Formats: sequence, C-alpha cells, structure tokens
Amino acid sequence: MNEKVALLFGDNEYTQEIVKNISSEYGEIHILTLDNSKENNFDLSDNWDDLSQKYDMSLCNAFCLLDDIAENIFLTISLRDSFKDLTIISLSHDRESTRKLHLAGATKVLPSIETTANVVAEMLEKPIVTKVMHKILYEQSDLKIAQVQIDDDSLFLKENNQKLYTDIEWCKEHGIIVISVVHEDMSSEFIYSSKAAHHVVQSGDTFVVVGYDKDIQAFEKIIGQKSEK
Amino acid sequence: MIKSLVLDLAYHLHTSNSYQKTKHFFYNILENSDNNYKRYVDLFMITLIFISVAILIREVKSHVEDSLVFFNNFVISFIFLMEYILRLWVSSSVTQTIIDQHEHDLLIGEKFRLSKALKKILFTKLKYIFSFKALIDLFAILPFFHQLRLLRMFILFRVFKLFRYAKSIQTFTSVLKAKKFEFLTLSIFASIVVFVSSVVIYVIEANNPDATISTFFEAVYWSIVTISTVGYGDISPLSSEGRVVAMFVIVAGIGVYSFTTSLIVTSFTEKLDEIKDLKLIDDVSKIQSFYLICGYENISREVAKRLCKNNDVIVLEEDPIKVESAKKDGFIALNYDPGSTESYKRLRIDIQKQVKAILCLGQSDVENVYTALTIRSFNQDIFILSILKNSTNRAKLTFAGVNEIVYDKELIGAVSKEFVGKPVAFEAIHALHSSHYDVEVEELLIDERILESYNYVGEFNNKKYRIVLLGIYRQSKEEFVFNPSDEEPIEFGDYLLVIGKAIFITEFNNYLHTKVS
Repeated sequence: MNEKVALLFGDNEYTQEIVKNISSEYGEIHILTLDNSKENNFDLSDNWDDLSQKYDMSLCNAFCLLDDIAENIFLTISLRDSFKDLTIISLSHDRESTRKLHLAGATKVLPSIETTANVVAEMLEKPIVTKVMHKILYEQSDLKIAQVQIDDDSLFLKENNQKLYTDIEWCKEHGIIVISVVHEDMSSEFIYSSKAAHHVVQSGDTFVVVGYDKDIQAFEKIIGQKSEK
Repeated sequence: MIKSLVLDLAYHLHTSNSYQKTKHFFYNILENSDNNYKRYVDLFMITLIFISVAILIREVKSHVEDSLVFFNNFVISFIFLMEYILRLWVSSSVTQTIIDQHEHDLLIGEKFRLSKALKKILFTKLKYIFSFKALIDLFAILPFFHQLRLLRMFILFRVFKLFRYAKSIQTFTSVLKAKKFEFLTLSIFASIVVFVSSVVIYVIEANNPDATISTFFEAVYWSIVTISTVGYGDISPLSSEGRVVAMFVIVAGIGVYSFTTSLIVTSFTEKLDEIKDLKLIDDVSKIQSFYLICGYENISREVAKRLCKNNDVIVLEEDPIKVESAKKDGFIALNYDPGSTESYKRLRIDIQKQVKAILCLGQSDVENVYTALTIRSFNQDIFILSILKNSTNRAKLTFAGVNEIVYDKELIGAVSKEFVGKPVAFEAIHALHSSHYDVEVEELLIDERILESYNYVGEFNNKKYRIVLLGIYRQSKEEFVFNPSDEEPIEFGDYLLVIGKAIFITEFNNYLHTKVS
C-alpha cells in the first residue's frame, strides 16, 4: 500500500490540476488552505507542531501553491525551518521568485511561466518534437520514459563490466533508447557526450531510458537480476 | 451613337483584366509606397534628376558633348513625360466615372448624360494637373522644348521632383505643415517689420547724396538682409536715425530667427513619436515572416525571448507602458489594440503572407477571445495559439477559432506528476533541455535531396555524429515509429526525431543532404 502523503498548501486551479495528476502516486492527499472557515486550514504563523502530530512528516511531500508569491516563499522557508528533510515543491511565477524559492529551501520549484513559455515556443518551432515528447513525458502513449538504476550485485554490471556506455547495443539488444546517464553524485550526462563516451558501466549509475512499457520492464528485470556471488 | 460607343468602351476597359492589371501595376510602382518595386523606380528617377542637374551645371562654362545634351533634353525629358502621363492616367478612373454616371442616370430614369460625365472627368483631371506635385512634374518636362532657351532653367524644377521620391523631405514638409498657423503669424510679423523698416529707412536715407540706399527696392533689400541676420554690409544706413532703425530691425531679426528655429524644433519633437511609429510600421511591413504576439505580459516576454533567437517577433499591445517595457526588452512593439480590425489595416500587415502564427497572450481570457475573434473575422487560415487563464473558458477560445490552447495549470499538473513519479528522469530531461548542456531534441525533414542518397534508416551514420535517433514521425499517417530498425524505409515528408548536441545535429543534417555519389 502506498503510504506517501501529499500536503498541498493553497486551494486554487493549480491545486486542482496537481491533485488530478498525482493521485496515483500518493496514498493520501490533503489540501490545506489559509481560509479559517474550512476544516483543513493553516496559518503562516503556525509553528507546525499540529502538522507533525497529524502526519508522519517523513512520508510527506509538501506542495506550496499559495497565490501570493511572498506568502508562498514565507511558507516554504517556514516548512524548511521546521522539517529539514521534507521534500518541498513550490510554485513560482517568475525568475525572481524561482531564485528566492530555491534560497528559501524548496527542493523543486515549478516555474509556471517558464514552463508555459517553453511549451509555447517548442509547439511553434518544433511541433512534431513537442507532440511526440509530450506524449512520452506525460504518458499519453505506450512509450514511456523511465529511470533504471544499476545495483552493486547486478548481473548486467558483471556481464558488461568495464564496457563503455557507447559500446552497448541498447536499441538492438533491449529495444530501448538510453538518453542519459545519471551518476551517483546526481550529475547527468547525455549518452553521447564526450564525457559519457569514455565512461564505463558502474554500479550506482541510473539510466534514463525511453521505450515501450514491456521493453522497459524487461530491461529493469535484466538490470535487477542479481549475480551469483 | 457616340454615347453608346463611349459607354461600351468604358465597360469593356473596366472589365478587362489586362487593362486593370496594367493600370494597377503602374499605380503600384508610381504611387504605392508599400510596393517593393516603387523604391527602385524612385531611385532611378532620382538618378536621372541628378544627371540632369549635373549636365546643366557643366553646360554653364564648358562644352558638353552633344550626346549628353541629347540625353538630357530628349531621353530624360521623354521619361519624365511618360511618367507624367502615367501619373495622370492612374490619378483617377475615367471608366469608373462614366459607368457611375450611366448607372446613376439609369436609376433615376433619365438618358445617359455623357457631357456630365466628361465634365466630371475634366474636373478631376484638372484638379490633379494643377496640384503642386503635378505642376512640378510638368515644369520638369518643359526643357524638352529646348529651343526656348529660357525653358532650360526649368531643369531646376527637376530638383523639386525630389519631393516625390525622398521620404525624409516629405516628412519635413508634413512637420512644417503641422505648424502652418504659427509660421503664417511669424511671416506676417516679419513682413510688417520689413515693410515698415524699408519705408522708414527709405524716407530717412534716400535724400542723403552719400547714402547707399537710394531706391525703395534697395531699402527692402537692406531690410531683408538685416532681419535675416545675414547682413552683407554692401548697403548700410549712414545717418544716426537710420542706424536706430537698423538696431530695431536687428533685434526683430534675432526674434524672428530664434522663433523660427524653436518652431521647427518643437514641431519635430511633437511629431517625433509619430514619425518613429510610421518608420516602425514601414519596417514591419517589410519583414517577410514573423510571429505576432498580442498582449505583453510576463508570459509574452518569456515566449518572445525564446522565439526571437531564430525569428522576428512583433508585439501588439494597447497599453503604452507595456509597449515601452517590451521595447526596453529589445522587441519591436507597436502601441495598437490587437482586438481591433482597424489596427491591422493601419499597420499594413499581410497576415497571410507575413505572419507565421498569432499568439494571444493577453492578461485575460476575455481579451484573448476578443483578439482571436477579431483576427478570424478577416482571416480564417492563420494559426492562432492562445493561453487559457480559466479552464471554464476553454470552449469559448475554441469557438473563437483558436487552433491551440495552452493551459499553464494543466502543464504544471503534468510536470508535478513527472517530478513526483520519476525525479531522476525528470531532472535528466530537464538538464538535456537546458542550454548548459547544449543538447537538443530536433526534427529533421526527409526531403527529396535526402531520399536521393538514403532509403533506409540503417544507411544513416547517426552514431558517428553522436546522435540518438529517437524515431521517425510519419507525417502522412500521423504515427511515430520509435527506435526504427535498420531495415525501416524512409519516405518523403517523414521527420527524424534526433537528440544530440546542436552543432552535431547541424553537421548530421548537412551530411544527410550531401549527395552520395
């Protein structure tokens, strides 16, 4: 059973859309508002004890979605002050507030204007790329994008030990396309970048792959197969 | 008999395609400043004017070759004569006047009155002939009759023809016209000063045998030279009374001179924005292809920044403060209401030919629906994209004719899902998109040139160019072939979706277009 809890601060159109999209990822979703007349309300001057008593904060992700950007930044900084390890996703409307939200301790900032501008520009300049990538990214087709990590004792690692990324026939052997590699330090490399071209397969690497669901599952199975010690 | 002949001829010419086409062509190259060829005709005419004046100057003290004189007197004059006749022709429509008169008479049940139609035609044509520009054109032709030596001086009228061709001179005239009343007052004041001072100086000086002013003409000449602050000094008053008059004239002269200067400067300052706007409209009408952004908000700024890397972007905004802000951001912005048909007419934008797409990025759905409807009222085909502010208005935007709707809340919802579900993949894709890595997802069109050398995916050497071939988008079937095998055939109109460094993608595209012998 999914025990993850999403706490959404602020009730507006963004909240409704986010709830629609993340409902499959969380066991519980709670919307908290600044409106005192509603049951699930909060106050920016809270010290958040109530919140930690009510929810297991280690299982929570917080979404700061207040309309007023100053209040949203204050909310982000308050939550970060009280919960050091909490994943905080905050909404911003411009570059300046994006920077401030990062400084306030947001784990991830969702820049609404930048995201929209990117989509609009790509729709006009690269309509086909946008169409295809949108379907892949937002799972509107059989094609999916996934992240697959190599463990220490993976059979795949043993079989491909000391092999360069570029030497492995990902497409032919597994029916998937590897786009990039994310290292243990979270730095990511495009699969054909000069740096990645000289890298060998290592444990802890995470591959970002695109493929059909069944091919990705099969690939995950191969990666996950434990080698006999 | 004559009436019916004239009427038949008028209807024939009026409905004749070739006649109307020819007339339209000459109208465009002579009178339509939006026409691209007009500037070449203007340049040609300006060159002829300068050649003509240069020959005149040369002729004063030196012998000029007969061929050049012939060229000046006959060839140039003939070209100007042709221009004059053509301008007279296109200035109004004779056939239209005859037809209008016939239809009018028919309507009121009277016989067709040809004489009335001819009177109207004569009146319209004479009105043109006696217009300032047409008179200059006529005088410029007169040197054609070179036997009359005096008429040679009319070559100088050719210089005035420059008014027709040089836009800056037209702008200067229009600026001066705006202050017509002030200039008239000033001229009346200056004339009174000149007249009074001339009379006074003549009365004082004329009887003095040593005086240089002995006639009234010399008195007027002295007054004008003094009031204009030129003061040659060839004629000057000798008596003390005369010198007192001179002092008054000098002071008045300074006043007239500075007032004239300030008038010109003020009228220019007042008209500066208008002049700049007209220049901008002129420049915009010459841009061959651009994106038109209606409304300047934060989202418009970000979209414009992205689009202007490879395209021209024009912003239309009603609020002058926002227009200034757009200009400060480095975009071409025009202070016109995007929701008014009049704006597009005044801007002379050919939506079909010049605009790639229209982006309705105003601050409210009401504004965007209104803009989209305005555009759809005169153009059905142009691609319109609009942002949606409130989900309940989606249907209204579709109804207004918007082709693509972007709802930012929906996008944020989708992005949140991606981030929550696959944070690593999300970050990796985001990183690939960011300019830091210079990695792009690009679409390459399979054209005839590529098909001449390649038939199957396996023949591409994309790995050599460090490029990931994500798949082929078959435009004809609207399907995406992911991870195509080497044997997958390629077809005309397909798109290759590739991921790689921008520079390598360009090289790969060039490689595909290089014919394999």
